[in-house]
Amino acid sequence: MNDMKRTSALVAAAMATVLAGVALAAAPARPDFTGVWTNAGAPGIGGATRGGGPAPLPLRPEAKARVDAYQKLVGPVGDSPGGWCLGYGMPSSMLSSGGYPMEIVQRPEQFTITYEAHTEMRRFYLGARNAPQADRIPGRNGYSSAHWEGNTLVVETDNLVDQVDQRWAHSDEAKIVERYHLEDKPDAQGRRVLVADMVMTDPKFYTAPVTEQKRWAEVPNGRLLPYECPEEFWNHRLEELAKKAGVPLP
Amino acid sequence: MNTIKTTVAALALFGVAPLAMAHHSAIQFDFTKQVAYTGTVKEFKAINPHMTMTIEVKDAKGVHEVQFEGHSTNNMYRSGYRKGMMNVGETVTVNCAPQKDGKEGGYVVSVATANGGFFGMKSRNLAQDAAATKSLAEGK
Repeated sequence: MNDMKRTSALVAAAMATVLAGVALAAAPARPDFTGVWTNAGAPGIGGATRGGGPAPLPLRPEAKARVDAYQKLVGPVGDSPGGWCLGYGMPSSMLSSGGYPMEIVQRPEQFTITYEAHTEMRRFYLGARNAPQADRIPGRNGYSSAHWEGNTLVVETDNLVDQVDQRWAHSDEAKIVERYHLEDKPDAQGRRVLVADMVMTDPKFYTAPVTEQKRWAEVPNGRLLPYECPEEFWNHRLEELAKKAGVPLP
Repeated sequence: MNTIKTTVAALALFGVAPLAMAHHSAIQFDFTKQVAYTGTVKEFKAINPHMTMTIEVKDAKGVHEVQFEGHSTNNMYRSGYRKGMMNVGETVTVNCAPQKDGKEGGYVVSVATANGGFFGMKSRNLAQDAAATKSLAEGK
């Protein structure tokens, strides 16, 4: 009887192994976006694919009035969020990010994207990895959930905060869909090319969807550089505290 | 911290409030032109989002200080800068996009040090250098 039990256990284990293998084999192979990517317009730094574009954004009159007021306020002095160490926010973090590279770390259930400028980060969650809607904290880059459609990664972003201070200004009702795919052929330098097609809708700000495309080329064995920005403000605060206390800087 | 003191003192000199330390966009610079200054380094900081530098220049106006700003530390490293390359008291030549209002100083396009160090844009075409600097400065 013990022999029969052992045999049954062995058969069950073997079947489980086979089924697991079948399941793995059935899971479609997905493209791997892991790596460091720079703007495809030029090697190294700079060269965004498309800036804001020559065509004016389809802003509603009340939204245009806000954008104009913002430009009037900061234009003469050239101030910007980045000048104050604030990240670009979506969609500028993806479309522009100052021309700096980005890094993608891909897992089946999550993509982690680091934009070098201001070390701005986004996370795309897939399937059960997603947070409940009520737990999603609004922010400049919003909350992003993703799913695969064949070899295209579709990323849907909401929970954005109102941002009149970026090139693609929007309200807190904006929703952004990005569709990422790898081009079939490498570029002239033999680099893989990643493409994102973006559509942003925002009934408060726009009369029509805003569409943009961004292309990146892979940086083989690339590394992001650290981008510490607020340290100068902290150093200045220490100076201020020391001065008030009448003591030398520690 | 000495460099911070210098900067704070300089800001105070120009009547800038302490929290107005933030750097600005490149809107005030004319990237269609390049101006070169040679002098000794008084202050230099490789910081983000923009580097800052002051050099002491001796020319027909006498001895005076000229201030510059430039790219982020990251872009400086990508264009050849390395820690220790710039030292107070050393002679440097700075190529910059000048200020539109005619004041001295500008946005750094490149820096050459007396001991052979160099960082920044360097091609056969100054206009291309300025255009590349402008593109990076504007974050495009």
